[in-house]
Parts: sequence; C-alpha cells; structure tokens
Amino acid sequence: MMSGDSFSVASSIGGFGQEVQNTNPNPNPAAKKKRNLPGTPDPDAEVIALSPKTLMATNRFVCEICNKGFQRDQNLQLHRRGHNLPWKLRQRTNKEVRKKVYICPEKTCVHHDPSRALGDLTGIKKHFSRKHGEKKWKCEKCSKKYAVQSDWKAHSKTCGTREYKCDCGTLFSRKDSFITHRAFCDALADESARLTSLAAANNLNFGNDSMNETVINPQPGLPLGASQFGPGFRPELSGMAINGNSLGVDQQKPRLSLWLNHANSQLNPTDMMANSHLYASSSSTAFPEMVQAVSGNLFGSSSMPNFGNFNNQQFQGFDKSVSTSTNASLSLSAIPHEMKEEGNKGNLVETQSSLYSDTQKKQSKPSMPMSATALLQKAAQMGSTTSNPSSIFGNSFGVMSSSSSNTTTSFNTLNQNRNELHQALQNSKQQAAENFTASGSVDGMLGSSNLSSLTTSTNSFDQLMMQTSGKQSDPVALNNHPGSNAIENSLTRDFLGMGGRESQRPFLAQELAKFASMSSAMGLSQFTGNH
Amino acid sequence: MARTKQEGRSSLTSSHESSPGLGSPYPWLRSPQSEEGGLQLIELLGECASHVTARCLHSVNTRLEHISYLASPKGTAIQRIASYFIEAFADRMLKGFTGLHKALNSTKISSVSEEILVQKLFYEHCPFLKFAYLITNQAIMEAMEGEKVVHIIDLYPVEPEQWIRLLQALSVRQEGAPHLKITGIHEQNEVLEKMDLQLKEEADRLSIPFQFNPIVSTIENLDIESLGIKTGEALAVISVLQLHSLLAVDEEVVRRNQQSLQQFLETDLNHLFIASASSSTTSELSLSASPKMESFLSSLRRFSPKLMVITEQEANHNGFTLIERVHNAMKFYAALFDCLDSTKSIAPIEQQKVEKMLFGEEIKNIVACDGAERKERHEKLEKWILWLELAGFSRVPFSYNGRVDASTMLQYYSDGYSFTEENGCLVIYWHEIPLFSVSAWSFR
Repeated sequence: MMSGDSFSVASSIGGFGQEVQNTNPNPNPAAKKKRNLPGTPDPDAEVIALSPKTLMATNRFVCEICNKGFQRDQNLQLHRRGHNLPWKLRQRTNKEVRKKVYICPEKTCVHHDPSRALGDLTGIKKHFSRKHGEKKWKCEKCSKKYAVQSDWKAHSKTCGTREYKCDCGTLFSRKDSFITHRAFCDALADESARLTSLAAANNLNFGNDSMNETVINPQPGLPLGASQFGPGFRPELSGMAINGNSLGVDQQKPRLSLWLNHANSQLNPTDMMANSHLYASSSSTAFPEMVQAVSGNLFGSSSMPNFGNFNNQQFQGFDKSVSTSTNASLSLSAIPHEMKEEGNKGNLVETQSSLYSDTQKKQSKPSMPMSATALLQKAAQMGSTTSNPSSIFGNSFGVMSSSSSNTTTSFNTLNQNRNELHQALQNSKQQAAENFTASGSVDGMLGSSNLSSLTTSTNSFDQLMMQTSGKQSDPVALNNHPGSNAIENSLTRDFLGMGGRESQRPFLAQELAKFASMSSAMGLSQFTGNH
Repeated sequence: MARTKQEGRSSLTSSHESSPGLGSPYPWLRSPQSEEGGLQLIELLGECASHVTARCLHSVNTRLEHISYLASPKGTAIQRIASYFIEAFADRMLKGFTGLHKALNSTKISSVSEEILVQKLFYEHCPFLKFAYLITNQAIMEAMEGEKVVHIIDLYPVEPEQWIRLLQALSVRQEGAPHLKITGIHEQNEVLEKMDLQLKEEADRLSIPFQFNPIVSTIENLDIESLGIKTGEALAVISVLQLHSLLAVDEEVVRRNQQSLQQFLETDLNHLFIASASSSTTSELSLSASPKMESFLSSLRRFSPKLMVITEQEANHNGFTLIERVHNAMKFYAALFDCLDSTKSIAPIEQQKVEKMLFGEEIKNIVACDGAERKERHEKLEKWILWLELAGFSRVPFSYNGRVDASTMLQYYSDGYSFTEENGCLVIYWHEIPLFSVSAWSFR
C-alpha cells in the first residue's frame, strides 16, 4: 500500500533487511505491543518520508484499478471486492510486513532526522499538524487553539470541568502542575514577605556579586533551588534536571538571564506573584523556569548571610567545568540537609507539608459526587444560558436564583408595586389574546371574561392601593417574590403545553387577579376588624 | 389526555434496591452518579412534572419508568430526592383512580414510635430545630421578664429538650422562676404523655412550679377557648413548623366564599373586581380565603398573647401550579438532603428513615395532594409577615444574646449553615439556600 506520488523510500536504518519481530516472547495475541520511547525508533524499521501533501492527504489508500481514494484500509478492501478481481490478487500483496517509521517533512523539525522518526503514521500526521500546521480548532470556553481535532475535542471535554485554583488566582487544569505551583507560590509569598522586611537591614550587593560570579553555569540552579522545598519534590526535580539537561543551550540562556534579573532587582511580593504567574502559565517547561526563578529569588536576597556563602559553595559545586572543586562531590541529598540546618528553611519545609495536606484536601473534593443543591444550581444555569424550552427547571430556577437575593433583603414599596402592576396590566392586555387561545385541563386558567373586567378595574385597584397605603405604616410586599416569576414561566408552559415560550412576561392575568384579591383582603380586614 | 383502564393497571414502580442505570434497557440514560446523569435526572423530573400537570397518564408512566432506573433511596442525594418525587408523582396520578388509591393505602401501618424516632433524629442531626428552640427560648425569657405566671401554648411538642432548656434557664432567672404552665397540642396521646413525664421530672428537679396540659387535637380543630387561658397570665404561643397547615383550604369552599364576598363588595365599593378563578386557588394567598388561619389568629388576638414565636419553612410550596411547587420543593429538599449528607454521625438506615418518613411525606403532600388534604403549605417569610400584620400582630426583634448562642450552636454542625437577620426575623441557610425562618410577634 504505497501512496501515489512524490515520496521517496529512504534506506532503512541499519540496513539489516530483516523483518521486524515483535520482541515480546509471549505468543498471546492479546499482549500489548511494546512501545518504544517516542522519537527513538526501532533500528530495523523502514523509514518512510512523505511530502507534506501526501502526509495530510485524507485518502491514503488508493485502489490500483480505478484510483479511487479511501481513508481506511478496510474500506479500500471492501471496494476492491467489487472489482471482481481474480482470487489471488484480492489477497494482500505482501504477507510480511516490515515495520515502517516516518519522518517529519519539515526540515527544521527534530523528527526530520531518521534517528528520531516516529512509528505511527497517524502520529506523524498529528505531529505535523500540531507543530507545523495551522491551528484551526478553537475551544469556545477558553479560546485555546488546536491544530488537531482530537486534541481540541479532548480539551473541550475537560476545559473548565476540573480546575484547581491557587490562592494567587492562577488556574490549573492539571493536578500535578497545580500542586507544584502551590508549593512555590506560597513559599514565594512567605519568602517575599520575610525578605522584604529583612532586605532593608542587609546588604544586597553581597549576594549579587556572588551571583554574578557563579551563575554562569548550565542549569546549575535547578536541583539546588528546588531541593529546598522538601523531600517530596526531589524525585520530580531529578526528573526535571534530566529534562533540563536535554534542553538546548539556547533555551537555557534566557532563563539564566531572568534569574540574574531577579537576583539584581529588589524583591517585592507582587513581582514574586507576577513571576510565578508567568511561569505557571506556560507549559511543562515552566517548572525548571520557576525553580530557577525561585532559587534566584531566594538567593538573590542576601538577607541571610549564610545564603551568600552557601551560594558560592553550591554553585561552584555544580559548575561542570570545575570538576575538581571541593564541593563537586555535593550530591542532591546533601543539600537539603545543609539547608535544613538553616533555621529558616525549616519553615519552608513545614509550609510545604501543610500545603500538601491542603492540596490533598482540596483535591478530594472534586472527586465526590455533586451535592443535590449544586446539581440543581447547575441545571438552572444551563437552563438559563441555553434556550431550551423543554427544560422546565431552567428558566425558572435561573429567575429564582437571581431574584431570590432581592426578595430576602427588602420589601418592595407600594409605589413600586403600583407601577409594576400598571405596566403588567398593559402587557397583559396585549398578551391576553395570545394567552387565551389555549384552553383545557391545566391548572388555574382564567376565563376571558375576567380579563376584560380586570382591565377596567385598574383604577379601582389603584384606589385600593392608596387606601391601604394610607392606613398601614409598614411597607407591605404585594408582589415580586421569587415564586411569582416562576409562576409566570410555569404557567406559560402550562398554557401552551409542553415546550412553552421563553418570553418572560412580567405578570400573567392570573397573577394580577391574585394581587387584586389580596389587596381586597387587606381592604376587607379593615371591615372584619370592626366586628 | 386519553387514558384507558389498561394503562391504569400498569405497574407503578417504587424505589428499588438495585443499582440504578445498570441493565436498563435505555442506553441513553446516563449513569446517575455522574454529574451529567444528575442533570439528566433533574430534567427528566421536570418533564415528568409537566406530564403530571397535563394528567397524561401514558407519558407520566413512560417517564416514571425511565426515572425509576436512575432513582434510588440509597444513592446520591439527587437520586434519593428523585425517588421520593417519583413516588409523589405516582401518588398524584393514582389519586385520579380513587378505588386504586384507597386500595393501595388500605394496609398502611403507622408506627408512632417510628415517627417519634424520626423526629428525634432530625432534631439531633440537623441544627434547625435546635436553632428554633434556642431563639424561641431566648425570646420567651426576654418577653417574660418580671412575669410571675407564664403560660406557653406549644402547637406541636415533639422534643422535650426544648422545654427542659427553658426550665433550666428560668430556674436561674434573677427574679426567680415563674409559675410555668405548658399546654401541648398533639394528635397522639403517647407523645404528650412522654413529654409530660420528662418535663415534670425536670421541673421537680429544679423546683419550678410546673403544670403540663395535654390536649389531644389537631391544630385545625383546636378550640382556643378550651385551653384554659386565664387572664393575668402571660401567654406565649409557640409554633414550630405547624402554622402552615392552617392554610389548607378546600378550593371549592373558597370559591363559593369568594363569590359571596364579591357580591358583598360590589354593593359597597365601586366595582371592585375580585378575580375568581374558574378552578382553583387564585385567592389562596388572601387571608379571607384561609378561613382557618383567619379564625385562629383572630381568636388568639382575643387573648392578647404577649409573645408568639413562629418557625416556618422558608420556601414557597404553596403555589398554584404543580410545576412551581415541584421546582421550589426540589430546591428546598435538595438542601435538606445535602444537610443530612453532610452529617457524619447519622447511620444510613436512620438517614433513610428521616428522608422517607419526614421529607418524603412532606414531598408527597406538597406534590400529590390538593385542597384540604395538602397540609404542607409552606410560604415565604414575606407572606407570613403580611398575614400576621394584617391580623394585628407586630414584630418583636431578636436580641443579640440569642444570636450569639445560635451561632455558637451552629459551629458544632457543618460550616455550611449560616443565618441572617431579615426584616427583624432570622433565617437559617444551608449554603445560600434559605431553609427556615423564625419570627417573633406580639399583639399590640
């Protein structure tokens, strides 16, 4: 199955010409295929270089008879059956399949090198799109863009669903990055709070000078800075250190300069926070940057004289060029011990463990089933944002939740009531015709006769309101309790059957009738009181 | 709306034990424990409610069938609520077939001891009753300062601790304890006897002159005259979640009254129009349409109570339409179910009992009953204030001391509870959801 034009079959790596066997001795076909590390292909595999056009072609499988293209091999086979080929040709032409690996057609890409080829065609296609393609898919919630549709889909499933929020306001979608950030974030906050208070009393230059001397090392600060933060971070850090090693030189330089900048400048908490934000918002490479920044910050302030000395020692120790330095033998594990001897460091470690427990607690929450109250609120939000007429709970809940705050705090004044009722009467007159087209066996319908008499009673209604307002000193609420809007909406739906209209009518005629009767009751009590 | 007798015989599922969602023949039903499933459940319940309103038996049956795969009295909060709501829906639909309904309920066993147990559980595990009692007692102490004889009418005594604490507080009063008389009104004699015993014991222990008057009656049938209220004694009326039952009206009767009222008014005022709905309950909210409430309050007025403390559910479950009631009830009881969930100390079977016998029965009443049968006519505080002020009562503010005690007490429960003062009354919340209100009144 070779695709059409303009590809070149490169020579195989190693040139052994052997079939690539699955090295798994287990003959069980259900056993998982061994997966190489990405970018480290099997040496026996056949390298295939496709042009970008071929790579992104949607119909890779072409029928040799009629040149019709198909997206899937199975589809092609099905099609070929229809050609009534002689039996032999219908079989797959080659029984022995040689493993193929693919290289990225983009010359500047790492995976252009056959030694870094990728093993899966789909994989290389996705890679090419992601790295060298245009990002056509955009997440609607957070407007993050993706080149590959499956990435976009996967993201939009989780976007906004599980978010961890640090106290400093940064949002995370991943638990590990959140935990990492929190540790640093609080530590930074503590440090900066302490350091700003102590900085005044100390000579910053001392620290800076030592920094300038010793800082020009490839990734020296990585393990050092990070290791202060307690044992829990170390495994991650060693991993990070490895990654740090593998980073290109050009990538290290900007971070070093940032580090230097921190060391030289005055620290204040807002900068710290801003920095941590900066680092947190970037991708997985954020961690070493953060660590460097942090260590830079910590060391930059020489409020602890010990720090300064320590700096010198440690940095020399990590300088690769100074292999014979007395401190070269310092291992990662030694550092925290030294650090812990400093009294202040103990605080940081403690903060870390408490942070850990905090994050544990916080993380446990999202995994519990949502409370019924929360579900109902969510249903209400969804109902109010989507125009889904069949969602009965949506609108009303939304209305209720928004108006509930109003009603519980204060009563409406009589004047407000009057105005609203006036308006409502106007509206209801207009809507009367629409309302009464439907009839039938639903709760609480007014006969049309009532409506006409209602409209004429507006004046007398007003009179009654004025009478009662004169006689009562306390403001009395007559309407706009949250239920009323819900009544409207639900009544609307009842009127019109299922899937009623979404329009929010301020008052239905029936509501008005209710108020009319209520106010009449008020008037009545004047009478009954005299009995 | 066509229904056939055959459809009436379709099996009505009640909550079953099997894990919901599994093995259901409806692949579109999502797992109810997930968030999506919960939202789907809410939507299905809403649709069912509108089918019930339209009295379309076939649609209701179909929906109940769907929901029954998701709902369960032992699942997540939303699943449990759903199971009580669908039972209420089914009950409502079945009421249309009076013979069937009566037959299904013909062998019900009501156990008083279970009811007492459930009340006790609710008292222990949720702070609402304690909150109400605390505030009430504080209000009593303040109103009765200097009084030598205090007569308390308790409209539904269930928890002896309520009055035991009052006795204790009175015993350390500066001017000495008053002569305390408590009249308890309850339908079951056993409850009253138990209460009598415990209170007498405590009063003896504290050497407070005490008298307990048991009255076996419902509040509607209560004859206040017969309560033996003597002149000169300071009267306090305490109602904890009881007053709303007085709002239960038979709509037909109301309508007739309304019409005669209308005639009366039209002769006197200029064409004042009183809308009388062709069917229900337009004027349920007007005082004149709640004759029981009106007569109760006016007869109380005659005795000039020094204090009346009313604790009520802070929710509108008295709406015209089923859908509105279902809405509000879902919100309200969801909060209550969540409250129980947040309690660590309650055993699952106990929780289920409280949910079934206390909340479930209320839900059933709100959803399935109408007219005089529907007793759970919860109304919001604004309405209560309206009615009480119409009846001539005026609000008594709550003191700072009571509030301090209340917030201390709430701390022992979850920190999801809070309370605020609104219009001189106290409202207790679970997170942002108002649940119960306590207001104090005196007759001027």
